Amino acid sequence: MADALTQLGFASWLSVLIASIIKVTLILVGGSVGMMFLTWYERRSISYMQDRRGPNRVGPQGLLQPISEAIKTMTKEDATPRDADKIVHFLAPVVMLGATVLSFAVIPWGRMFPVDLNAAVLFVIATGGLHSIGMMMAGWGSNNKFALLGGMRGVAQLISYEIPQVMAIIPVVLMTGSMSLQKIVEAQNDFAGLGWYVFSPVGLLGFALFFTASLAEGERTPFDIPEADSEIIAGYMTEYSGMKFAVFYLSNYMSNLAVCFITATLYLGGGNGPGVDALGGIAGGLLSLIYFLLKSFALFFVMVLIRATVPRLRVDQLMSFAWKFLLPLVLVNILSASFWVALLRWDQQWPKLTEWFGAPSTADATNWGRLAIAIVLTLLINAGAVALIMRLTNRNVQKHLYTTDEELALGLS
Amino acid sequence: MTLSHLATEDVFVVERNDADFRGGQGMTKGLGIVFRKFRKALFGKPNSDRADTEGQFNVQYPEERLAIPEAYRNMPILLYDDATGHELCTSCFQCERICPPQVIHITQAKDPATGKPVPAAAKFVLEYDTCMSCGYCAEVCPFDAIKMDHDFELSTANHPELDVDYNRLLRPVSYYETIAPTMWSEVKEQAMKKLQNNIKRRPGDIGRDHGQKIKGGAPVAAAATPAAGAAPAAGAAKPRGPVAAIGKNMSEDKTAKLLAIRAANAAKRGGGAADAAPVAQAAPVVETVADAPAAASAAPTGPVAAIGQNMSEDKRAKLEAIRAAKRAQRGE
Ligand code: SF4
Ligand code: SF4
Repeated sequence: MADALTQLGFASWLSVLIASIIKVTLILVGGSVGMMFLTWYERRSISYMQDRRGPNRVGPQGLLQPISEAIKTMTKEDATPRDADKIVHFLAPVVMLGATVLSFAVIPWGRMFPVDLNAAVLFVIATGGLHSIGMMMAGWGSNNKFALLGGMRGVAQLISYEIPQVMAIIPVVLMTGSMSLQKIVEAQNDFAGLGWYVFSPVGLLGFALFFTASLAEGERTPFDIPEADSEIIAGYMTEYSGMKFAVFYLSNYMSNLAVCFITATLYLGGGNGPGVDALGGIAGGLLSLIYFLLKSFALFFVMVLIRATVPRLRVDQLMSFAWKFLLPLVLVNILSASFWVALLRWDQQWPKLTEWFGAPSTADATNWGRLAIAIVLTLLINAGAVALIMRLTNRNVQKHLYTTDEELALGLS
Repeated sequence: MTLSHLATEDVFVVERNDADFRGGQGMTKGLGIVFRKFRKALFGKPNSDRADTEGQFNVQYPEERLAIPEAYRNMPILLYDDATGHELCTSCFQCERICPPQVIHITQAKDPATGKPVPAAAKFVLEYDTCMSCGYCAEVCPFDAIKMDHDFELSTANHPELDVDYNRLLRPVSYYETIAPTMWSEVKEQAMKKLQNNIKRRPGDIGRDHGQKIKGGAPVAAAATPAAGAAPAAGAAKPRGPVAAIGKNMSEDKTAKLLAIRAANAAKRGGGAADAAPVAQAAPVVETVADAPAAASAAPTGPVAAIGQNMSEDKRAKLEAIRAAKRAQRGE
């Protein structure tokens, strides 16, 4: 964009500035409008899951409901507790929102990339990590026991789930050979735009693990322990009202949206899909944007479905789920990703492989033999690992959570 | 564990067999059920069959409404007779006394000529904001004058408006008949008979001048006024003995029985000297508290009759005994 402006006769520094301002505005507007749509979308779909109708009065199908709610929260009184740490209390929502908006910088909107960082994956993870700081600030600054409990729980949860989340991305990075989101999207463009990672055994497991861990990162319902309403009111948001509360809300939904975008980019091929390359140009870009949004909102629908189905975990269940279930599977997945890469890409380092299985696959000509072997091998590893770990978890659960009648009669347990 | 005793078509039973491999089948099943509900609610037709568990059950309230059952109760209203415009309320204070949050306030009408109380209310105020819709007032009213309305859309930004006065409480009997036909038909005859009795004791326009400003009410027939007015005047002139005051609507032998019981009670209390004194002491206090006309006119039958309008006799006696003991303790 900056180049186009320079060609129009702007000074180079000015064109960079203008281009940046336009991009920032687009990101901010897109993020908040997306968030507004998301609240409506979530409320409508969860309503139908519960045999209700949800907001359907303000505007067509209730689409303007988020706007009326935004006006409501903006005109509400903004109360700060007397004993709160005023500065920290004020800064917490800003930090939260800032962290979320930052991650939007690298999200590819179909074929449009606001910024193409070569370490975009790392950047997304890093900005996601900032959330726990905002949470802790809110919990501490409010000077309220529920807020502090919520903040502590939030930080504990985020730190635990960041590990499986980050490690679940490693297979993607391995298979692509790059941390740039643009490269990752391009790498999934095989097979007429359908070479998404989710169709490979490694990607499938990675997708499930990453998505689950992201649910916990975004405090979605089975993992909404930091804001468990029935236990600690609203967690770290207890002492927030009015605009500050709205900013928290905005940041939560924007980070959920970002999670959906990132998952769609990493595993569901971003804006790739049949027909995008064939159309090309602006039409292709639009089509890819549509594909991208469709995938993201389908993912969000799954989030809502899970929210409507699964009750909240206990804290110990949350922790054992992260450490005893997700983490081992993630490690196994990295192993099978290495096999995948070795089988499909590795040749110069180990010529014997080429000798046995023929030349490695490229985007132009796929080596079907190598692909089949890789699929079978990784499928075996992953399925075996899943079955094994589930069995182990079952046994643990049964041992700890169920008491037999004899035990009860003896007063044991 | 099985839930076979519950396993009908309407209950989702997720079997949790611990011996089997559990790889998220329960979760998948649950997600499937929720998704099916979503699909049925979104694309299915509105479903009013409450035995069903899937579909869209919402009633879109301002446009669609469910029929309100006859015995539904929201806020109390007062009735008046369509034909004569006479209010059914006789200002007997039963409702004011029973109302748990004490939101009914009645002033009895007085005959301007003699200053004697008339069986009609001059003022009747009901605080709708604190009324808890218990329906005790309608339950207790011996004249079927106060009834529970079905109108529930009463929200207002003007709080004082919720102290509803007589004019705004009154509805014609015909209105109540439309909202609760069977309930009214059960009491109609008796209520109208009592009303006729009361009209006889109401001089002039007393008991009907509120009826002029009712929303939805039939305008009061002006022609009926003189005829109706004459009868109450005659009724008011009647000398009132204690028996008359105890209950126009009570049969003679019922009244006699009541008097006999009271006499027996008085005799019983006379036996215990320790109890009798405090009872006599308490009597004047009670008299001022009790504002029922019956209590005042029953006074000649002795202090005993006035005692315990609100409290049972021996409860009061016990209380007085305790007080006396305390006084003695203090060394008075
Ligand atoms: S409904 Fe209950 S609370 Fe309301 S006025 Fe009647 S007795 Fe009082
Ligand atoms: S109980 Fe009935 S007749 Fe008596 S004062 Fe109340 S409304 Fe009037």
